[in-house]
Amino acid sequence: MQEAIVNTNRVLTCIQCGKCTGSCPESGKTPFNVRMLMRKRQFRNTIEEFLPWYCTSCGACTIRCPRDVKPSEVIIEIRSGFVENGDIPAAIQKALENTFVQKNPWGRSRAKRGAWVEKLDFEIPHVSETASKRLLFTCCIQAYDPRCMVIPVNVATILNRYGIEFGILGEEEACCGNEIRRIGESGLFEELQEENKTVFKEYGIKEIIALSPHCMNAFKKEYGDMDIKVSHYTELLAPMIKNGTITFNGTYNKKVIYHDPCFLGKQNGIFDEPRDILKTVQGIDFLEFIRSRENSMCCEGGGGRMFFEVETQYKRNSEVRVEDAFQKGAEVIATACPFCVMNLEEKAVEKGLEVKELSEILMEVL
Amino acid sequence: MSYALIVAEVRRGLFEERNLDSIGICSLLEKDPIMLIPESDYSVNWEALSGVIKVKIEETQFLNPLNMVNILGKVIGKRGKPDVIIFTNSASGAELAAYTAGYFDLPIITDVSNYDKEQGVFYKSYYSDKIFGEFKPSGDGSFIITVRSGSFKEYVTENGTTPSIETIEDITASPVRTFMEYVEEEKTDVDITKADFLLSLGRGIGNKDEIPSYEELAGLLKAVISGSRPVIDKMWLPKARQVGTSGKTVKPKVYLAMGISGAFQHIAGMKDSDCIIAVNKDPEAPIFQYANYGIVADIHKVRDKLKDILKA
Amino acid sequence: MNLIVFTKRVPATQEEELRITGEGKAVDLSKVPFKVNDWDNYSVEEAVRIVEKSGGTATAVSIGDAESDEVLRRAIAMGAKDGLLLETGDVFHDPNVRATLIHNFLKKENLPFDAIFTGVQSEDDQFGAVGGILAAKLGLPFVSMVIGIDTVESDHLIVRRELEGGLQERVKVMLPCVISIQTGINEPRYVSIMGIRKASKVERKVYKAADYQDSMKSKIEIIKWVYPPKKAGAKILSGELESACKELLGILKEKGVYQ
Repeated sequence: MQEAIVNTNRVLTCIQCGKCTGSCPESGKTPFNVRMLMRKRQFRNTIEEFLPWYCTSCGACTIRCPRDVKPSEVIIEIRSGFVENGDIPAAIQKALENTFVQKNPWGRSRAKRGAWVEKLDFEIPHVSETASKRLLFTCCIQAYDPRCMVIPVNVATILNRYGIEFGILGEEEACCGNEIRRIGESGLFEELQEENKTVFKEYGIKEIIALSPHCMNAFKKEYGDMDIKVSHYTELLAPMIKNGTITFNGTYNKKVIYHDPCFLGKQNGIFDEPRDILKTVQGIDFLEFIRSRENSMCCEGGGGRMFFEVETQYKRNSEVRVEDAFQKGAEVIATACPFCVMNLEEKAVEKGLEVKELSEILMEVL
Repeated sequence: MSYALIVAEVRRGLFEERNLDSIGICSLLEKDPIMLIPESDYSVNWEALSGVIKVKIEETQFLNPLNMVNILGKVIGKRGKPDVIIFTNSASGAELAAYTAGYFDLPIITDVSNYDKEQGVFYKSYYSDKIFGEFKPSGDGSFIITVRSGSFKEYVTENGTTPSIETIEDITASPVRTFMEYVEEEKTDVDITKADFLLSLGRGIGNKDEIPSYEELAGLLKAVISGSRPVIDKMWLPKARQVGTSGKTVKPKVYLAMGISGAFQHIAGMKDSDCIIAVNKDPEAPIFQYANYGIVADIHKVRDKLKDILKA
Repeated sequence: MNLIVFTKRVPATQEEELRITGEGKAVDLSKVPFKVNDWDNYSVEEAVRIVEKSGGTATAVSIGDAESDEVLRRAIAMGAKDGLLLETGDVFHDPNVRATLIHNFLKKENLPFDAIFTGVQSEDDQFGAVGGILAAKLGLPFVSMVIGIDTVESDHLIVRRELEGGLQERVKVMLPCVISIQTGINEPRYVSIMGIRKASKVERKVYKAADYQDSMKSKIEIIKWVYPPKKAGAKILSGELESACKELLGILKEKGVYQ
């Protein structure tokens, strides 16, 4: 594990300014309070076992902290203490045990990780058979969830149509571990990292196209130096659309509002590529949330929150987000992360709004 | 004499329904069914049996493996070895069978769900019914089987004659394992993972006001109510009732899903149920891919119709 | 209290489509990941909780190939003192064979114990018979489907057995004894990878199963493996609402959940 990720010693320098709590998507409405947690950590006070699990790992606190305390990393450290003691919420435990056995948090068959390619009308080679050694990394939820499976299907179709060579790993792909590390199971994260890196090395992979911002984040920032170019698929497509390599024939006559995923936007600075792509599509009336870009509101899908529910009942951010979109007059919420899609869609449907992963809009206008 | 010895499962004065499967398989095995049962007033279709051996012993002592081997010792002493000893595949049947196999050094095949007469092989589940093994006891001696509930009761034949009756007594109860009492599980809030029959509600119920009417249906059906995440999220049902990856994993005998479309996080929590019945107005709902039975209809209409039938 | 607890490494088949090979000769498990048997996980946790509370040691024993060391490390990470592997490349389907092997091993090595814990069954073969056969061979009392251990005394245990329909039976059993543990008796702790790595430092003893195979003859034969009849998607109950609903009630009756 790299020093940079887990250096949480700066918690002692916390001045309790409260900027973390102010930016936190959970503080205020739930018993969770980042500033209080940092205080308890400074004094090594006991932390109630249910508390650290509210964190969605959106990273807002770490970005805003004036003392570089990295509160979101301190929370991971607090969680790891509970993980070591074996005392964690049952659903989190299940997700970890599943990942240990099947290399995905849902415990689906690893042998079926590549089954989504059956939905394509062309064949994708194994990455070892490509000249470019360009890997399309599927991601667990997109390999198994029927709703999210369209994302790899769409992106593969687009890449294939424009002659961009790429390959996949199929069942040799393991969970990236981004959420696993944030749950506080660093040992398991290391094993997943080791397994993926070994495979990347074995096949001489030179480039990874990540479909989920969470996977992208892990490969870019937490896998150490792999000498592999890592990009989110919007980073690959945006310049090609700009220079005319990819053109759209259709129009999309809808009011579309773009929701920044935390791991794409605020944590990795990819704000413009998805917007540029959407703005190129004819007919789109492009809207912005008031809280957008660095201030985008978390969907509450990160940090392990996709796998379990916190006990407190409160208004979900997805509901707030859908209401904001509705107020703005949007018909479609576009985003570029499977977790955001899953969380927003549930509430959007009730308001009569559509949620589209960016590639879904592209498929309609190609 | 060639015979099959059926060890009856009786509990609190009741002759368990699953004993019929033990009797039924005797027809396929072509063995005379002789039933071993405590001497008491049980309601049994005696005419399906060739013989009955009544044991003068308390029911709870009868269902104790340490006593059972003594009882069986007496039966064998009196009648000779049975060709096969048949137990139910239940909490007590399986416990008695295993200990008996060890005590008398007999072959044992458990959880038998089918028998092929031609080949003389027993089908036994492996990997939660994904694969079945065809098993045969080695040699010609006595062997033990436990039979899966619901597998053989259709083969029960009544020959119209009353069975012969013998009695066994003077069984010394074992001092090393003793029955103390029955305990009913505490009912704080219902534990949905323990229910045999779940009526599970999804987003399709529309609004909270519909809940009492579904509770009434559950009452009539003697089902326990559970729900999918949207229903819990909206606080229409308590968190403890949630089925799915972020809730509980359930394996009831019947999972009746009403208004649940079948998000895969939900499916993961219920797909191992013995029987899944889905009611949904959308014929394309993914839940139908996992269900054994389905009704494509408005769930409120199905609810009302079921209530009408049940009340009539 | 000295406890011996058995733990088995089993294929995690729940999500897999299994393939039979060689015309019924074998089930192909080559692509299937392995895990600890669920029942054994509860039983190791229960044993560890008892020794944490009342003192003594829990010793984990596994029968299997060298890979089974994994479940022993896991048991040690949970709190077992030792891990013993009875190493064999063979798969013993017959519970009589497994119980005989264990019996021979315990006798020959003269391992002291107050109680032996097994899981009620193992996920793969679901025989659920090894504990009972072993108890009878050892001449010890046996209780299966144990869903609660209420009292631990130096000469006896008071346990609850799970029966059907929410009913339990409280039983007193004298020590030494053999207990088969049911899932749900406790909430097994999470075993972290770091915990397993630490446990790797505790030496696990390896014994060759071949040294304990006296009178270990199989009493049953496996003829072949077959698939269950295919499940053909949902059978849609169509027609009038009334008849569909009646049909539904018929199914509930057939499944025995509604009279």
